[in-house]
Amino acid sequence: MTVDRSAAFLFMIAGYVAGAIVALIAPSDRIARGATAIGAASGSVAGLVTALAVLATGDRFELVRPDMIAVAGGVAIQLDSLGALFLALVCSVGLFAAVYGFTYTADYDGRRSLRFFGLMFNAFLLGMSLVPCAANVFTFLFAWELMAVASYFLVMTEHESSDARAAGLWYAAMTHFGFVLLLPMFLIMAPAAGATAFVDLRAGASALPPAARSTVFALALAAFGSKAGVVPLHVWLPRAHPAAPSHVSALMSGVMIKLGVYGLLRVTSDFLGTGPAWWGGLVLAVGSLSALGGVLYALTENDLKRLLAYSSVENVGVIFLGIGAALVLQSYGLPALAMVGFGAALLHTVNHACFKTLLFLAAGNVLRGARTRNMEQMGGLIKGMPVTAMAFLIGSAAAAALPPLNGFASEWMVFQALLSGAQIAKPEVAIGSPLAVGVLALTSGLAAATFVKAFGISFLAMPRSDAAAAAREPHWSAWTALGAFAAATVVLGLFAPSAIAAMYRIVESVTATPRNVTGGGGIWLLSAHGVAAVSPLLIAVLVASVAFVAFASIRARGFDVRVADTWGCGRIRQTARMEYTSSAFAEPLRRIFSELYRPTEDFSVSVHPEARLIIRSITYTTRIVPWIEKALYEPVTRGARAIAASVRRLQAGSVHLYLLYIAAALMAALASAWWFE
Amino acid sequence: MFSQLVMLGSSGMLLTALIVLWRKHVPAYISAYRLQVWLLAGVTATVGYFASDWRLFAVAFVLVVLKAIAIPALLRTMLRRFGAQPEVRPYVNTETSLLIAGLLVLFAYVLARPWMAVTDLPTRDALPIAMGLLFVSLFVIVSRRKAITQVIGFLMLENAIALLAAVGTYGVPLLVELGVFLDALMGFLVMQIFVYQIHETFDTIDVEQLTRLRH
Repeated sequence: MTVDRSAAFLFMIAGYVAGAIVALIAPSDRIARGATAIGAASGSVAGLVTALAVLATGDRFELVRPDMIAVAGGVAIQLDSLGALFLALVCSVGLFAAVYGFTYTADYDGRRSLRFFGLMFNAFLLGMSLVPCAANVFTFLFAWELMAVASYFLVMTEHESSDARAAGLWYAAMTHFGFVLLLPMFLIMAPAAGATAFVDLRAGASALPPAARSTVFALALAAFGSKAGVVPLHVWLPRAHPAAPSHVSALMSGVMIKLGVYGLLRVTSDFLGTGPAWWGGLVLAVGSLSALGGVLYALTENDLKRLLAYSSVENVGVIFLGIGAALVLQSYGLPALAMVGFGAALLHTVNHACFKTLLFLAAGNVLRGARTRNMEQMGGLIKGMPVTAMAFLIGSAAAAALPPLNGFASEWMVFQALLSGAQIAKPEVAIGSPLAVGVLALTSGLAAATFVKAFGISFLAMPRSDAAAAAREPHWSAWTALGAFAAATVVLGLFAPSAIAAMYRIVESVTATPRNVTGGGGIWLLSAHGVAAVSPLLIAVLVASVAFVAFASIRARGFDVRVADTWGCGRIRQTARMEYTSSAFAEPLRRIFSELYRPTEDFSVSVHPEARLIIRSITYTTRIVPWIEKALYEPVTRGARAIAASVRRLQAGSVHLYLLYIAAALMAALASAWWFE
Repeated sequence: MFSQLVMLGSSGMLLTALIVLWRKHVPAYISAYRLQVWLLAGVTATVGYFASDWRLFAVAFVLVVLKAIAIPALLRTMLRRFGAQPEVRPYVNTETSLLIAGLLVLFAYVLARPWMAVTDLPTRDALPIAMGLLFVSLFVIVSRRKAITQVIGFLMLENAIALLAAVGTYGVPLLVELGVFLDALMGFLVMQIFVYQIHETFDTIDVEQLTRLRH
């Protein structure tokens, strides 16, 4: 089947633009919602067709229009298989987020401008779709900023809450920080003024002296790391993702932060090529910090969406671990092993996009049903929302890297890449690589605990609030997205060997290293030299057959089932207050890692005024102090505030003072003529 | 003869601006302004006569119609609307105001020196006076409280610029001149609306009340 790729690509842009414009001029909220969803969905389908056509054939798709905005270097589009993978991710999440959003935003009818929301939603998708297609600096930066600005407005959808406004401010500051670093990065690589096409940059980067190459790398790591949300640049992520509407959170967490990964891969493995080993070491360090830091903060979080956001920080850390391992291996001349690292990172990128979208959309259903994000007020949701609960369970199991789901496959591959470090006889690698393996192992374990808590506290046991008890499933159209991503999570897990082979093909086309690793022998997921092998499909078959045998034998022998109350330890009545809480679940780990959390505790008992032994209530408040964040960002914010306060004195509110400024400026300008005498 | 006439007219214009600094009543400001426009028209016509440029006569004619007849009439309407609100307590008192105005004119002379060195027009002696008028008008705007006084300060600023154009370059192209007239008229109308709004909102035209708008 041949597809006219440029027609599909232009149709994608047309879809998003039409969605944005029609939503903006729609006569009613309902039509605005519909136009938003239809525009975004048709644009996404067209984008998906383009991406798949490129992925299937492997040859690039180009569209260069140097006459458009010629001052800035023209518009240049080029889609290779790496870009196509990310475009496919953006468009598949975008498609289902659009469908999901149609009913989700019905809550906003009449309360918020859905027209503006539709404009920004489509602009956000357009920006994200163009980033992996861009082939010169102008196009890339334009798409990058479109994505950043549109997502800023989406984060600010519920702008009357001060949390959302603070989140927007943090997000804007961090995204501009990244943008400021991007400009010099591109400029250093440009071989000559005006040569800003990516082809020129690739040629320019290879001619750079080593110090300049390292500067480019460091700038890329910081700039794209701030978008990807790695520790310590993650501060905006746990604020902005919960503040946005859930399907936007899914897009931000599932895809937008992945474009940071895309940028890093594009610059390091495509433009710069092989670098010194410390590049990889730095990426490994950043990845370890993010993986561990993200999961530790996720563990103690009681806000469901913030928990998911912190889990995204963790997963980006895992992706960076894969990239870091690959960079180290590449610098020691082991391209075949490096391939495993890059492939694992890409696979985890895809997998995380699937299960995190699933989790955020399920969390959106919970938010709609239980009217809260606080897990301490949920509980028992599985009774009212069985479909959502099932979806959340699948997502949680994947996030906890349980076989045979997809999270397991890619984390296993990252492990293999890290273990390959043993092939390098250098002391720093010999110490660093087992450390990274240890961090990843600890992270996986803590992630399991985190998601046991997230699922157990939210969905099981008894409802902790009336709203949770009354929670019901939303409109069935919300299930399509859940179903699609749950299926993708399972399929990508079962057929991970084929998926990793596809990733290897993509890496191969970008880094131009010959493929001498086998992706997988049929159903077996293999390490680079085939030393280790695991088959998710066989695990699934094993689990299924054990379950089937157990079930069948129970049915065959005919155990008689007696329905009765559980033994209640002598209690007369079971209430929700007797349940395990979210904070209590995390308490043991909070104690172990108390040096990191530095919890503040506040314990107060109020007694009866007459009899001190009669206790009326006990209040226990504890909160964790993100001290790393404080130590790093408080000086910056304090400085910015001080400058703003002193500048603000100029704005005294007096018209006369303002007129005096004008007069003084005029006189100063005239007086400056003396200098030119 | 030419340069003396121009000097006479320009100095008269500066004097009329100084009137605003020591009189307290708005009707006096309006007559000072009207007088200033007549003088400006006179200077423009003089320049037109000696430079034999008929277009400057047209400019002078429009000046008289627009600024000496129409705008003072509009100002009187405003005055009737608000009643005569004298400029009671300006930010800078009369004595200091006059002192500052003197210093500003001195400053204008210092500023205009390099400029005067490079031109040899017969009107160049009026250049520092035009700049001094510009500074004094700015000072009127900055130091007076009543919105109507500030409007007059703005109108005098316009005149200073027109004078600068006439004596510095023998007038600008007619098209530009017409644009400036339109600009001035529109600016004046907008300001009139603002003054009405301020009066309606705060029940006074004391601009200091606007400070309350900040938060």
